[in-house]
Amino acid sequence: MNEEAAPRMIGTLMIGLREGLEAALVVSVLLAYVRQLGRRDAAVKIWIGVGAAVLLSLLLGAVLTFGAYGLSFRAQEIIGGSLSIVAVAMVTWMVLWMLRAARGLSGELRGQVDRALLGGGWAVAAIGFVSVGREGLETALFIWATTRASDVAPLVGFLSAVSGILLAALLGWALFRGMIRIDLTRFFRWSGVLLIVFAAGVLAYAVHDLQEAAVLPGPFAATPAGAGPLLAAFTGDAAWAFRIPHLIAPDGALGAVLKGTLGFSPEMTKLEVIAWFAYLVPVMTLFLRASIAQERSIRTRKAAVERAAAPSKGTP
Amino acid sequence: MIPVSPRMRAASCLVAVAASALLLTACVPNAAPDATRIAVTVNDTDCAVETAEAASGTVTFDVRNDGEQVTEFYVLGSNELTIVGEVENIAPGANRELTVQVGPGDYFTSCKPGMIGAGVGRAAFTVTGDAVETSPEEDAVVAQYVGYVKSQTEELLPQVQAFVDAYAAGDDAEAKRLFPLARINYERIEPTAEQFGDLDPKIDYRKPGADEEGLEFTGFHRIEMDLWNAEAVADGEYTGDPDLTPLTPEERAELGARLVADVTELKEQVADPGFTLTLADITEGAKGLLDEIAAPDGKLPGEENEFAHTDLYDFTANVEGAQVAVDTVRDLAVANGSADLVDELDQRFDDMFALLATYGDYEGGFVSYDTVGQPERNELAAKLSALSEPLSTLTAAVVTD
Repeated sequence: MNEEAAPRMIGTLMIGLREGLEAALVVSVLLAYVRQLGRRDAAVKIWIGVGAAVLLSLLLGAVLTFGAYGLSFRAQEIIGGSLSIVAVAMVTWMVLWMLRAARGLSGELRGQVDRALLGGGWAVAAIGFVSVGREGLETALFIWATTRASDVAPLVGFLSAVSGILLAALLGWALFRGMIRIDLTRFFRWSGVLLIVFAAGVLAYAVHDLQEAAVLPGPFAATPAGAGPLLAAFTGDAAWAFRIPHLIAPDGALGAVLKGTLGFSPEMTKLEVIAWFAYLVPVMTLFLRASIAQERSIRTRKAAVERAAAPSKGTP
Repeated sequence: MIPVSPRMRAASCLVAVAASALLLTACVPNAAPDATRIAVTVNDTDCAVETAEAASGTVTFDVRNDGEQVTEFYVLGSNELTIVGEVENIAPGANRELTVQVGPGDYFTSCKPGMIGAGVGRAAFTVTGDAVETSPEEDAVVAQYVGYVKSQTEELLPQVQAFVDAYAAGDDAEAKRLFPLARINYERIEPTAEQFGDLDPKIDYRKPGADEEGLEFTGFHRIEMDLWNAEAVADGEYTGDPDLTPLTPEERAELGARLVADVTELKEQVADPGFTLTLADITEGAKGLLDEIAAPDGKLPGEENEFAHTDLYDFTANVEGAQVAVDTVRDLAVANGSADLVDELDQRFDDMFALLATYGDYEGGFVSYDTVGQPERNELAAKLSALSEPLSTLTAAVVTD
């Protein structure tokens, strides 16, 4: 290893971290969910969903890298963007659904949630699948290309990319450990809040992908002649909301973590920011209001909750 | 569209990419024999492209990152904004390829070390040569099929109108009779309708699909539920749904008007001069029609019309739609040396229709699907997969180069 290798490894590691983080965080909350509800069978299904996504990504990545044909840039962006939107829809649906399933909960909490998870064991697995698969295709393309690069020890590049993904998994695991320690009521609230924040970031980046693919108007197209002021404000240079890569380096650790968690990128378009807020504000409001109302009703039935929250340490 | 679970949808999307990777414009050759290869060397301050000119067609850039930062390489359009191709995440020391298909014109190349700012080394890149063209034969085939889709949507509208009129007027018996008939034209061209992403959910989603996506439940199946709800509950086959109390005449009129409006919108979208399809859309659409029959919530399991039990109408219409698609591309397939495949498909279609005919026809009516036992359904499934299997190779036989 020569003296140039260290910064190179870090750059590669950051790519793995950034791409891995979004998926790892969603999956860790999903796992915490089913663990909190005592549904270990569903945890197995989530792992199956995640495993399938990883395998399929690697397989597709290999086919597209080594096969006779690859995906065009537009197709990659459109697929990535659309899958992200699917993932956002599924996560939102799950968060709100779980809330509803647990809304009228009394002594029946376990039964309610069990019923909700009945088909949902696979539904959460599906969310794991989409969350991982969404990032997976691009990451797999990157991994294979790195492996293929003939000189400068491709193995080193490959291993540092994988280390980045493992680091993301580690952060996910830490989140998981933290989540399973809190009691059920607070857990529902915090996991929901986190998922909604992650989903807002995913949605914003989905918008970015679709802008790059020219499906949505954005900075990657000139303002058409004779465009109204509204369209003009969302195309060309005016489309950027802010560009501060000189303050937060996109290839650094802070940039990677912000991107992987909040979906915050140092360069964001207006449409991305609007999508982020337009999703986050109403969904979070809806969620928090329902969640608080739920907690209030639970307090009045503390005994039932304690039974349902077993074998955790009980309510605070 | 048959509502599918999110898991299936995600999987089928990825599978579609894998399966159709060779066929759609979504895909570019990694190493076409006549592809131009251009070396690009990036470091933290420069972006050196080996040559600033190329012939139109497939161009592959071999990008090598000699810098110490993660970099990106872009091919931009003549406005220097539109992204023609982009490869992100080029790790230091790594080589990555970007393959683009470009027609003649002015382009720009650029790199973005550290993924920061406006990039470095922006340079003009000129592509000369002929525009990429499709053959006149292919254009004619596509035009013919687009014409067919238009005629189906035009026939669909009055059928739906008549159905909705009976329903709104409270003539349940007539509405029930017209329900499967009004769906025929739609079921024949469903994959095309699905291209208009927001219309199919409004027109043809079932309740689980609409709920899953948080959409208001409208369209054919909403009316179906309303028409047959009481019956289904009385039979004990359905516990009823508190969200689905019988609709008032006003609600019926509104629901019906929305279906008509959505179908009208579909007709107008298809009639738009800008609407077109690719050959692969046609052949994959034929396969898609058969897949919809066999899907877990499709016609074969009797889930599509779970209240009306008119699945055999939809089944037949789907097969008819697939047959028209095959007929449209027949000459191209034969010209490409796949006469055997076409013959086999003809035989399988005949078998399928012969079996369906034992259950009735549109005019005289098909038997209610809940009277079709599992052995008979298995027989239908066997015939269907015998047809589906050769059909899945049709795209490869039709779409060449």
